[in-house]
Amino acid sequence: MDTGLQAYLTVAGLIFAIGFAGVLLHKNTLIIYMCLELMLTASTLALVAFSRFYGTMDGALFVFFIITVAAAEVAVGLAIIVALYRRRRTVQVDELNFLKH
Amino acid sequence: MNLPMLLSLILLLPLGSAVVIALFLRKRGNLAALLSIMVGFTVMALSLYVILTSYNPARTVYPAGSPESSLPSAAMQNWLGMAGPVWAEASHHWLQFGDYVFAMGFHFNNLSALMLLVVSFVACWIQLFSAGYMADDEGKARFFGGLSIFMFSMLGIVLADNLVMLFVFWELVGFSSYMLIAHYYTTDFANMASKKAFIVNRIGDLGFLLGIVWCWDHYGTVRLSELENIIGYHPGLVAGGAATGIGLLLMCGFVGKSAQFPLQVWLTDAMAGPTPVSALIHAATMVAAGIYFLARVFFLLPPFTLHWIMWSGAAMTACAGLWALGQTDIKKTLAYSTLSHLGYMATAVGLGYPQLAMFHLAMHACFKATLFLGSGSVIHACHHEQDIYKMGGLRKKMPITAATFLLASLANCAVPFFSGAYSKDSIISAAYLKGHDEGLIYYGVYALVLFGALCTALYTCRLFAVVFLGKARSEEAEHAHESGASITIPLIVLGLLSLAAGWTVYDWKWAGGLMTGLIPSGCAQVFLGGFSALEHTLEEKGLGHGLEIINVIVVLAGLAASYAFYGRSAAAGDPLAAKSPGAFRVLERHGWFDDVYDWYVAQIQQHFCDVLAALDKLAIQFGGGQVCAGGLSGLAGALLRRATVGSIHAYVYWFLAGVCCYWFFAVR
Repeated sequence: MDTGLQAYLTVAGLIFAIGFAGVLLHKNTLIIYMCLELMLTASTLALVAFSRFYGTMDGALFVFFIITVAAAEVAVGLAIIVALYRRRRTVQVDELNFLKH
Repeated sequence: MNLPMLLSLILLLPLGSAVVIALFLRKRGNLAALLSIMVGFTVMALSLYVILTSYNPARTVYPAGSPESSLPSAAMQNWLGMAGPVWAEASHHWLQFGDYVFAMGFHFNNLSALMLLVVSFVACWIQLFSAGYMADDEGKARFFGGLSIFMFSMLGIVLADNLVMLFVFWELVGFSSYMLIAHYYTTDFANMASKKAFIVNRIGDLGFLLGIVWCWDHYGTVRLSELENIIGYHPGLVAGGAATGIGLLLMCGFVGKSAQFPLQVWLTDAMAGPTPVSALIHAATMVAAGIYFLARVFFLLPPFTLHWIMWSGAAMTACAGLWALGQTDIKKTLAYSTLSHLGYMATAVGLGYPQLAMFHLAMHACFKATLFLGSGSVIHACHHEQDIYKMGGLRKKMPITAATFLLASLANCAVPFFSGAYSKDSIISAAYLKGHDEGLIYYGVYALVLFGALCTALYTCRLFAVVFLGKARSEEAEHAHESGASITIPLIVLGLLSLAAGWTVYDWKWAGGLMTGLIPSGCAQVFLGGFSALEHTLEEKGLGHGLEIINVIVVLAGLAASYAFYGRSAAAGDPLAAKSPGAFRVLERHGWFDDVYDWYVAQIQQHFCDVLAALDKLAIQFGGGQVCAGGLSGLAGALLRRATVGSIHAYVYWFLAGVCCYWFFAVR
């Protein structure tokens, strides 16, 4: 059975929603970070689906770039979290409230 | 090279020198001095060249044989006869606002030629003098840069073809005077004096500026040549309230710059500057610019203004002469002498002889520059001692200074055959002539200027006797010795001119008739327009010799009385102060003008300012600042502060809200 574009987009939307909910609800910075990555992945899934549906390569090409940038971004983001932990001895966001007035 | 180009060169050379000094030579005093002096002498040479070669006797005020109907009014013809034909005229746009065009240009006639010669000649010798006088000064480069910028500004006044340009350069000389008075800026007194000079001049210049604006409104132009034309053919314009108002307002500029009543207080304090500055700016040229300006716009001055100028000038002549007797500072005595002589020039303008005023200006520039330079030489030799009762007996130790000082003193008193005599006696005679012709009350002017001549003899002889005769009164005077060549050469040149400059009036023909007196016959009219006209009138009425004899008697009596009173005294103080301390104190306080102004500033102006300050605090700082600016931004800050909660989740919601907003506007 040939699954349509709509099914892929629905899955991508669901993943994105799960990721976004995770960002909003979780307290642990690492988990929030994973959820962010999940949202990014959802967008790449949507791009691949579009690319396949329209028979063009540009969406797929975009995904390569996104994966490359995401790899670099993960390295920097995790480094920041490690540095944060070393300084504050915690990665719980409700304890990281030093910007509060 | 044509005349306008030469004049531009004369004007711009000192500016170039000032710019080079300011940009590159600030740490190199000697190079700066060399540059400034070289430019000074070049400018003098160029000015002499212009005057000796560009005078053209064939150039007349009106074309020969013009019909009677196309000539300007009689009064204007008379004035044009004095100011002479225009040698050169050039103008180009500087700024344009709608219909208003501000031009920069030259209007060069006999008056400007004479003034150009005086300024450039005196200035270059004084610059040479400064090289010796300021040799060890730390701010030498700044000083010579200041002299250069002063030269530029002064020449701008001399050449200006319209009142706006004249005003611009007028302010520039004010600035350079301020800068040079404050040369010794580490002393409080010099700082206060420079501020006083600047502020008092601003008061006069405010009137001047309003006068220019009103003149533009009333006559429709501020160009001198156009004004000459308009008033020449519509003499009725210079009558009535507006013309008198314009005349009085323009006169304010003169009153400030030439330190006449009631703004005379700045000039004596301005002596805080270095002595060459006092000689150049506060005796020979800048303060005389007021007189030059009056002569330039003489045709704009209605009778009431002229009367004011005449009476205040004559009163200043007598009062300043008296006040000079109460000073023990050598430079202050000379400053009062300058005030008195500016009074003479103002009287001459008021009497209707602007050319005569210019003639006296030229003579005065020679002998007063010599007197100031001589005093500079003395001050230099006595290690910056200025009290005349700490000098004395310098005649033998400083023979060249003493001799030139004597020549200039005699010229200052108007002893016959010295330069001052020709111009000053003519002014006194002109005052008598006014009384003779127009009524008894004008004999008052004659009495005042004659009394001024007596005072001049008194204070000049006092100064010379106390400083150069008798015995040394202090250690410094004991060990004084003659100054170096760069100080004595300008003294000799200007000293000889103090003797001989007046000989230009004689009709000696020599060099095959090419020369008259000391000048080429062609140019005689440049210098002597007013003088020969007056002599002619006096001759006609048979008054000349009698008046001359009275003048000589007054001067000789003054000299003799002064020598008898001051010359014998070897005491360490002023004999008048010893014999009559009350009278001396009256003279010393010079009419309590400073005290009145102090009282006014402290008691009236200060209270007024306090009220303004209170209003400012209430309306602007509290109303505008606290309530409007402080209140609004404070409120916004309080609200925005709430948004800074420090929770990442809250920021995510903010972000989400931002995206929604963006999406709403972008997709809609």
